[in-house]
Amino acid sequence: MTSEATSRAVSIDPGGKIHWLGRVRAAAVIVAMLVALVYFVPSLPTYYVRIIDMVLIYLLLATGLNMVVGYAGLLDLGFIAFYAIGAYSYALLASGQFDIHLPFGPILVVGGGLAGMAGVLLGIPVLRLRGDYLAIVTLGFGEIIRLLMNNLVSVTNGPQGISRIDQPFLFGFPLKTPRDFFFILLPIAIFAVTLAWRLECSILGLGWAAIREDQDAARGIGINTTLAKLLAFGLSATLGGFAGVIFAAFQRFVDPVSFSFWESLTIVLIIVIGGVGNLVGVVVGAAVLIVVPELLREYSEYRMLLYGCALVAIILVRPGGIVGRHHNPAWIMQKLGWR
Amino acid sequence: MTLRFVGLRKRFGSLIAIDGVDLVFEPGKITSIIGPNGAGKSTLINMCAGSYKVTSGRILFEDVELQRLKKHQIAGHGVARTYQNIRLFDGMTVQQNLEVCLFSSYLGRTFAEVFVPGVSQRFKNERAALCREALARFGLTRFAETLAADLSYGNQKLLEIARATLLNPKVLMLDEPAAGLNHGETDHLKETLRSLVRPDRVMIIVEHDMSFVMTLSDHIFVLHQGRLLFEGTPAEVQANFAVQEAYLGSPGDVDGIRVAARNRANRVRLRSNANIERRRPAPV
Amino acid sequence: MLPSRTRRSLQRIKPVVTSFLIQQLVNALTIGAIYALIALGYTMVYGVLRLINFAHSEMFMVGGHVAFFLFAASASLSGSALGVLVTLGVFAATFVVVGLLGVGIEEAAYRPLRRASRLAPMLSALGVAIVLQNAVMLFVSRRPLPFPAFLPPISFSVVGAVVTLDQIFIVVFAVALMVTLAWFVNGTTLGVKIRAVSENPRTAQLLGIDVNTPIRLIFFIGPGLGALAGILYASYYGIVVFSMGFVVGLKAFIAAILGGIGSISGAMLGGFVLGVLETFGAGLLPKLTNGVIGSEYRDIFAFSVLVLVLIFRPAGFLGEVVTEEGMVYKRDF
Repeated sequence: MTSEATSRAVSIDPGGKIHWLGRVRAAAVIVAMLVALVYFVPSLPTYYVRIIDMVLIYLLLATGLNMVVGYAGLLDLGFIAFYAIGAYSYALLASGQFDIHLPFGPILVVGGGLAGMAGVLLGIPVLRLRGDYLAIVTLGFGEIIRLLMNNLVSVTNGPQGISRIDQPFLFGFPLKTPRDFFFILLPIAIFAVTLAWRLECSILGLGWAAIREDQDAARGIGINTTLAKLLAFGLSATLGGFAGVIFAAFQRFVDPVSFSFWESLTIVLIIVIGGVGNLVGVVVGAAVLIVVPELLREYSEYRMLLYGCALVAIILVRPGGIVGRHHNPAWIMQKLGWR
Repeated sequence: MTLRFVGLRKRFGSLIAIDGVDLVFEPGKITSIIGPNGAGKSTLINMCAGSYKVTSGRILFEDVELQRLKKHQIAGHGVARTYQNIRLFDGMTVQQNLEVCLFSSYLGRTFAEVFVPGVSQRFKNERAALCREALARFGLTRFAETLAADLSYGNQKLLEIARATLLNPKVLMLDEPAAGLNHGETDHLKETLRSLVRPDRVMIIVEHDMSFVMTLSDHIFVLHQGRLLFEGTPAEVQANFAVQEAYLGSPGDVDGIRVAARNRANRVRLRSNANIERRRPAPV
Repeated sequence: MLPSRTRRSLQRIKPVVTSFLIQQLVNALTIGAIYALIALGYTMVYGVLRLINFAHSEMFMVGGHVAFFLFAASASLSGSALGVLVTLGVFAATFVVVGLLGVGIEEAAYRPLRRASRLAPMLSALGVAIVLQNAVMLFVSRRPLPFPAFLPPISFSVVGAVVTLDQIFIVVFAVALMVTLAWFVNGTTLGVKIRAVSENPRTAQLLGIDVNTPIRLIFFIGPGLGALAGILYASYYGIVVFSMGFVVGLKAFIAAILGGIGSISGAMLGGFVLGVLETFGAGLLPKLTNGVIGSEYRDIFAFSVLVLVLIFRPAGFLGEVVTEEGMVYKRDF
């Protein structure tokens, strides 16, 4: 029996009658919040908008990783590799490196697709491993990708990275400032989170939950665990790839330093500190883990030290994460009146 | 529609758990496998379900060789089992534990379920209806939204069986279903199991509780040290020399078995009076 | 029969090849011994708690720094060159200090999380590693500190290869420590208890063994050995720096996996094997590929070894092979 077993389960699907008034109220609240965001955020100084953009990118990443770690229960410590694949896709296909200049949209698809394929390819040999071994292998894989990016100088320009990446255009509009990026990142992030939530509630999500609980029993009732795990890996890698493409377009510069083990770790921490497997936790975690170090920027020397202390403190006090497991999106919707 | 074990052998390193077993299970009956501890009963179920790899031999069902298949493929052929130590999905609700069995049939439609609005609700309702039906059959309807871990032991056992029977399996294997149940629950279980008999379904029960086995089974296989010792109807098994010897260590002591069985029944009744739940009965 | 000119050329190459091989072997054994000592810490902790102790690499680093200060203190006190007794004293003191640090960390940061998920202690360990590394960087020194050599710089020539005294010392000392550990773990009651707890904590508890004492001992000995490895490494390369733990620790961890994580003899074997693989790989690859693949690929090499071992033989050389039937499927978090 796990400690979470005693927490109240919030049914994802109450079924039964639809209370239209409640649903309208909930929808109104959400729309109001979105309108406020879209109105208020762009008026902030660029520095803050930039931070919010990074929060959204990490939210995208964490939502992807959450599918593997939170839903399927597989510890992937090398997720950053897919981010790197996406980012370098854009860097290589839209810059002076090889003098190819593809537009943003198609590269988004290509980057996501490549990353997704890499996820599946990685998954195939690795998914039958026991939890810890899986963690180590994925860690190793992440590092290998970074080292390759670092050493294949003729392709990736090595440690110097690729700079002067093309400015992205979306439907003819240039994406220049952090404000521009906010306007595409927000809908993309909302879309990704909604997608993840619907997956969580679907039969695939239920299968992942079963695998997380007891993989062997899951097989016993007919779940093809290999397929389900590969789907988790592939889908999460694709999201990571998307995030990478956007990041490269945003920074207009990539180098291997941005894709180290520490980045993988940050994403894992977002999920764990926020609350494993819980999308609300992922959002909270992304906000906390990106904003807090920025707030500590003044003490930049001591930043990492405080980060380490905070990490240990949070894990000791709330090992399950800040947001409890049953405070999931369904709970929020119910609180807002959705019945 | 018969299930056949042909020349099955299972070795764990140097330990030979199953040493050449040929069994035939007929549908429409309840067949029990009994034997002293370590005889290999659970091993047989594990091999059939795909948890253990067969060292040699074949498992034939409807012209398919099950021993070659992966575990979920075996389940896909209509083989279902319950476990000695309950293996429910603790963190999921009772209804979710059932719903997840519908994974393979709904997986292909996940794309629609995720992207097309409205479809999701329809599928969920379909699945919920199927689960409600199973819950009603086992008397678990009011626990639909309870976490599986929060159920009483007896209800957990029922849930496991409900889960195993959800998809109308052709082979149903139950590993010590009566373990740890009190007298009343055992009777309820017997009725439930009798109601699960179908003309096209093979039912296999591995058990230690002799009175349970004798009153419920149509056919019994007695296993001893990895080999089939004897098979027959309950009456034949009770009267047999070799069986008595295996269980008690001395030949011809029929009274000994009866006394032992009676004592167990007494102990069980005492337990139910005192309302104490026990996990496993002592070995015979 | 080869023509005589070729034969003479080969005869001329042979000593060069031999001395090259012996040189690489000596280097390999030296670094391998260090990896082995650190790997022991990883493997013992994993064996008993199934925890990848990310903070262990920092024990190595802290050990180097503690010894640095002890040497500096004793040098200023005695004013003369470091005698044998002083050196041994520093070794012992560092072992104890870092060992106590290890026990303290276990009590404070890991023990409370034992009941929680598998992941939580690992993240706590990571946090501790970050704290240790940054604390040393901020409060001790950002720049490398010069580590004293406690051995005279004598070297020997063996068939053309150069073997220094400290290389011999490192290998001999490390092996002596490992032999002592092996004796302790096999020959003494306490040691056997450690092995029992290491293999199966639940069963050990059922047998009445109090798991906490062996665990504390493991967290004393493991970090202690890592600290001694730190001293050896620091004196060999002449410096200590706050960042020296990360890469070496990672390699030692790979060594532990290679040998079979959870197995003490595996860690020892794995350390030396990785030392050999890495040294020969880095030494030979440029020669074999005419410089196409350079020795920067040393790290990729190590990681590829890691990934390949885990995919094809997760148990490593001497680890316990867990078959499908033996696996217990438990939630990770």
